[in-house]
Amino acid sequence: MGDSQYSFSLTTFSPSGKLVQIEHALTAVGSGQTSLGIKASNGVVIATEKKLPSILVDEESVQKIQHLTPNIGVVYSGMGPDFRVLVRKSRKQAEQYNRLYKEPIPVTQLVRETATVMQEFTQSGGVRPFGVSLLVAGYDDKGPQLYQVDPSGSYFSWKASAMGKNVSNAKTFLEKRYTEDMELDDAIHTAILTLKEGFEGEISSKNIEIGKIGADKIFRVLTPAEIDDYLAEVE
Amino acid sequence: MDLLKVNWGRRKHSLFYYLFLASKQLFPLDLYLFSPNPFRFDQPSSSSRLFDFGRMSQSGVDVPAKGGFSFDLCKRNDMLIQKGLKAPSFLKTGTTIVGLIFKDGVILGADTRATEGPIVADKNCEKIHYMAPNIYCCGAGTAADTEAVTDMVSSQLRLHRYQTGRDSRVITALTLLKKHLFSYQGHVSAALVLGGVDITGPHLHTIYPHGSTDTLPFATMGSGSLAAMSVFEAKYKEGLTRDEGIKLVAEAICSGIFNDLGSGSNVDICVITKGNKEYLRNYMEPNPRTYVSSKGYSFTKKTEVLRTKITPLMERVEITEVGEAMEE
Repeated sequence: MGDSQYSFSLTTFSPSGKLVQIEHALTAVGSGQTSLGIKASNGVVIATEKKLPSILVDEESVQKIQHLTPNIGVVYSGMGPDFRVLVRKSRKQAEQYNRLYKEPIPVTQLVRETATVMQEFTQSGGVRPFGVSLLVAGYDDKGPQLYQVDPSGSYFSWKASAMGKNVSNAKTFLEKRYTEDMELDDAIHTAILTLKEGFEGEISSKNIEIGKIGADKIFRVLTPAEIDDYLAEVE
Repeated sequence: MDLLKVNWGRRKHSLFYYLFLASKQLFPLDLYLFSPNPFRFDQPSSSSRLFDFGRMSQSGVDVPAKGGFSFDLCKRNDMLIQKGLKAPSFLKTGTTIVGLIFKDGVILGADTRATEGPIVADKNCEKIHYMAPNIYCCGAGTAADTEAVTDMVSSQLRLHRYQTGRDSRVITALTLLKKHLFSYQGHVSAALVLGGVDITGPHLHTIYPHGSTDTLPFATMGSGSLAAMSVFEAKYKEGLTRDEGIKLVAEAICSGIFNDLGSGSNVDICVITKGNKEYLRNYMEPNPRTYVSSKGYSFTKKTEVLRTKITPLMERVEITEVGEAMEE
């Protein structure tokens, strides 16, 4: 891919053994809006800030949390357009898996394939790494699962994780508040509190987005009305 | 042995085809004398422009045409059939499939017999295929073709739904199917009745293997289509209720089941309305197995052993240690 002039990889090793482009990609992620995920005993919740650049933007048209399959959802921190491209590729891979094996794709498989795509862009000619980290939440036969995928293509399974601007505060907060036997509703409350920690301005159903998946294995993005209910409970 | 893979122009033919061609050629001696390349034949005037005698190819490697179906072998198959070779048979669905639009939506119906020539291969197969939560498709023709095509388009529709965030429309399914079938020029032998209810209302279409489509208030396809159509033509009217519609569809399928050899067994029905669908599998079973022996069946004469011979498949393996052990 790319011109012959650019058939070399733009992601090259530095003398210290680091891939500088990937470090920069992680910086891009670190300056993106905060997003987090929590794995409960009976489900997973993912949430993100939805700060729009201006009050004139129609907030209903912006959806940061997306479905990959009926039982897997994803949220990101970083560059929105890169996220769109990854979501499209992942959906296609999930569908291809389904057609070949006639079973819904397991969460680990989808995460692995998405991570492979991200890695390819760190080792090809004329392309740059993706400037997003993903939080993939799913519920399959192995139970609820939460994975984080980085621009380098590495992925980890987390019990709770955060990324973006407020990552250190959010992670400290989550470490304190996380318990193994949390239920899904508790997890949603904790997620809202974590977002509130570093939130600039007034938190409301218009500037956060929450997605959850329970034992019914159907990933849903909460409506603003539902978010309002949870916010009221948290108060 | 390069002759085996000669490239005439840009096509590759087997030795058989080459001999077939060569046997029809005259060998112009004068041109041979003048031609620097002994393998360079010139065309006699009578020979058609079918054979493009280009230069002998440099390599035996054949680069496949980019994408799509390669029709090279279809020509060979036709030639082999002309020579008397019997094509392998495949599972066809014989079939009676119908659809009609009623007051609140669409009703699809199908029989459940799959045939392989004169034999019933599957007494209870499913011919009504899922395309989308609000769209179903009945398939007649080669069973593999209908299943593969509906599966593929169902997959494409699902991806499309994710991208757009909307429910699929029947016309989308129709266009995806007809594009695919047309590009295969009728070689994908799938005749479909596609029905569903979307935001624009209830729709019913038929799709023919070559890629043409019809939009109709009631439709039948398959070998039993004439039997079923006669029932529809006599009794269909607009604004049928759900029960009337189901009764009419069942009657049409039964007409196909009893009057067509390629259709039989049970009746499957699928009712699609706005926001709801009911898949009534084996709605009617007009051909039950009437006699089953109450005593059961026993076979007294057991299998006789005439001769026993045991051949070990693996010879005994001898291990000899040679060389140094691997380093850690």
